[in-house]
Amino acid sequence: MFDFVGKRYWFFLLSALVIVPGVISLAIVGLKPGVDFKSGTSITLSFGDIVSVSEDDLRGEMSSLGYTDSLVQSTGSGSFYITIPGTLSTEDEHTITSDMENRFQYTFPADQQPEYLVVSPMVASETARNAATAVAIAALGILLYITFAFRKMPNPFRWGVCAIVALLHDILVVMGIFSILGWVAGVKVDVMFITGMLTVAGYSVHDTIVVFDRIRENMSKHVGTDFEDTVNVSIVQTLTRSLNTSLTVFLVLLTLLLLVGGTIHNFTLVLLIGVVTGTYSSVCNASQLLIVWEKGEWRRFFSWLPFVRKPSPQT
Amino acid sequence: MKRRPTDAAKRFLWNRWFLLLIVALVGVSLWVMSSGGSSVLHPNQDKSDLGLRLGLDLKGGVQLVYQADYSQIPQSENWDADQKSLAISGAVKTIESRVNGLGVLEPIIQRQGSDRVLVELPGISDVEQAKSVIEATAFLEFREVEVKGSSVATLNDYISDSGTGLFDTSVPGSRMFYASTSQDPVAILKLSDNGTRIYTDKDGNDITDSVGTLSTADKNAQCWMPATGTLNGVQTQLIGPGYLKSAKSEASSKSTTGAVTWGVGIDWNSDGWTLFNSIAQDLFPYYSSSSVNQRCLLGIVLDNKLISSPQIMASSYTTAEITGNFDSSSSHQLAVELTSGALPVPLKTLYESQISATLGGDFVHKAFIAGLVGFLVIALFMIFYYRLPGVVATAALAIYVLIVLAIYKLIPVTLSLAGIAGFVVSMGMAVDANVLIFERMKEELRAGRTLGSAMDAGFSRAWPSIRDSNISTFITCAILYWFGGHIVASSTVKGFALTLFIGVAVSMFSAIMISRTLLWTFLTGSWAARHLNWFGVEMKPAAGTEDV
Repeated sequence: MFDFVGKRYWFFLLSALVIVPGVISLAIVGLKPGVDFKSGTSITLSFGDIVSVSEDDLRGEMSSLGYTDSLVQSTGSGSFYITIPGTLSTEDEHTITSDMENRFQYTFPADQQPEYLVVSPMVASETARNAATAVAIAALGILLYITFAFRKMPNPFRWGVCAIVALLHDILVVMGIFSILGWVAGVKVDVMFITGMLTVAGYSVHDTIVVFDRIRENMSKHVGTDFEDTVNVSIVQTLTRSLNTSLTVFLVLLTLLLLVGGTIHNFTLVLLIGVVTGTYSSVCNASQLLIVWEKGEWRRFFSWLPFVRKPSPQT
Repeated sequence: MKRRPTDAAKRFLWNRWFLLLIVALVGVSLWVMSSGGSSVLHPNQDKSDLGLRLGLDLKGGVQLVYQADYSQIPQSENWDADQKSLAISGAVKTIESRVNGLGVLEPIIQRQGSDRVLVELPGISDVEQAKSVIEATAFLEFREVEVKGSSVATLNDYISDSGTGLFDTSVPGSRMFYASTSQDPVAILKLSDNGTRIYTDKDGNDITDSVGTLSTADKNAQCWMPATGTLNGVQTQLIGPGYLKSAKSEASSKSTTGAVTWGVGIDWNSDGWTLFNSIAQDLFPYYSSSSVNQRCLLGIVLDNKLISSPQIMASSYTTAEITGNFDSSSSHQLAVELTSGALPVPLKTLYESQISATLGGDFVHKAFIAGLVGFLVIALFMIFYYRLPGVVATAALAIYVLIVLAIYKLIPVTLSLAGIAGFVVSMGMAVDANVLIFERMKEELRAGRTLGSAMDAGFSRAWPSIRDSNISTFITCAILYWFGGHIVASSTVKGFALTLFIGVAVSMFSAIMISRTLLWTFLTGSWAARHLNWFGVEMKPAAGTEDV
């Protein structure tokens, strides 16, 4: 049987290796706001029915001009509504207009010139903050519920805290990776990212509870020689389930990525990372953390602090 | 764990009822999803895409652009750019809360340029309906009669007057003419930029040329001008939103008859009270005066309707109430519209159009294919790994998808990407519930249990895990929904929470009821026990005979 519990500090180390650089990147650079969170420019183009232009044509043309983060919407009869992040100088506007005219062999008549207007962010920046607050309150609710559901276990509150720490772990991993991807590959954060984060948060707790639940069952059946052993048996028993469930979700996300692609890649990326880290944290972190807490091992690391009792001589 | 035959018989009977229930649910869901269901449930909605309401990002919707109409703001206020900017931001917020009050619509509301508001609403093919939602706002103002010479000016006075300006040059702003028979104005008079008189009817149509042909009764309509008071030494008009602190519906009973009358109690902020009492001070002397007694009337004008005109009977007030022809619900509605719905600046529609999806016009088609392929992949995986139970789980999953979509359509839920995400996650959790059960079943089978008891043990042992993990998801959903709906109008969060909640609730039902009933129905024949490899278990059972 694989020893998930004994290797716990190796698992913690692996998590730290991913999280610490991410958190540093978050603290220094933060996340790169995308078109949804920034003031932008709306461009109204009307080609009439003289030339045929598709949304994809315009999307391609905008990115060849360097506006990769543009939203292109058709408003019918050859008219389009494009939103790009940031504001444009008059020169930029002329460049876009003349480029469009060259590319589509069409001259905008004087009364139907492209219209450039500054628009406020599509999603107020409060939305991101409020979503975070909502998740925090939800975490509190989950903490209370787990404490209640595991009330027959010794120190049920610790189980709740460990599940929430695993949740925090997953959120930090995804945010950290996105922060790094931001300055490495220019990946921006949009409203899909928020949706994705909410999804990851929901999935993470769900995954952790299944493992905890098995530990609870095995403890009441007195499976295993001691707490560590019980936990390890439980992790191994639920491993197939954890991997199978993650695999099915992973496969669905993969089809989304391959078949829908482009416009929702951010969303699928968040979920793909989230599923991997969510599974990892529930198998390799959450219950191990519980053991560290139950055995008071954390004292070893903080024994230099005056108010911390010395660790009990346990193996 | 040998079951007594009576139990088995009972079990068999129950199972039949459950099966019937599932068949009925599938039938109802199929009807809801059919085009027949569409025309009964949502007759005004687009019938395509199975009649589901799809969000802006998936399907597009109606795009409306509004422009602030500063001409209706009294010139005396002389708004600078900052005030105008503040008013537009306020209008964006107001429209946001108004649209969000309608449920999970997931609109986009943006400020565009310096004086425009862009609104995009999904799933509404009726533009007029969309507009009525946004524009049904209450614009509250107060007016007093205008006097010409020694009597109240009438429309006829203005028509027969040869000049161009207004009679009372100290009070700018529009003049409204109300006949005694109607709350709607007969005509509205504004001065054009070059100072000539422009008349419009109540809908804003220009009637300058035809105003002379109105009936005598209409021409006798009295002229009401903005009520102005002095605030910080400046002559200022009292307009609702800027000075309003709160408005609430109030009931009061008449002392003589005992009849209950409804009104809207108004509390101004400190500037509002200063202004209000300054107006009261101006009007009060006419209460006891014999000359033009009507000058003591304070006209309450809501969206151009003169809803009541009480007499000002004191020079100073500490409470104010709008009375009129209200009942409990209309006074409540007015109170809500005054506090949350009033726009800081009147808006007019600049243009309206249908707009395509932000995620690309063919997104729904691609997503549909992806969903189908995703479903097949899960089905293949489940069948390959769990064999016969996998087939049952796939059937249960198909029923699950059908029921969830039917509920989405019934409510109706606006499906945006966030909503789809909630759906996909809930589907993952539905699969997970089945995986949990089947893993337990396999374990129990390996431990030598008979098929029937392994199935029972699988379900009952997996139940606490399913329950606890799903309850924690419910908690998350409830908090996200409440938060998304009340603290901030964040429709993304709300949409996600709602679809996930429905999805997880149905997934619990699906895993426990549908999978179980189907398993019992199809797999409890004696043939099943002879083919345990169909359950993904290679080992022969150690002992025991099949018990059902």
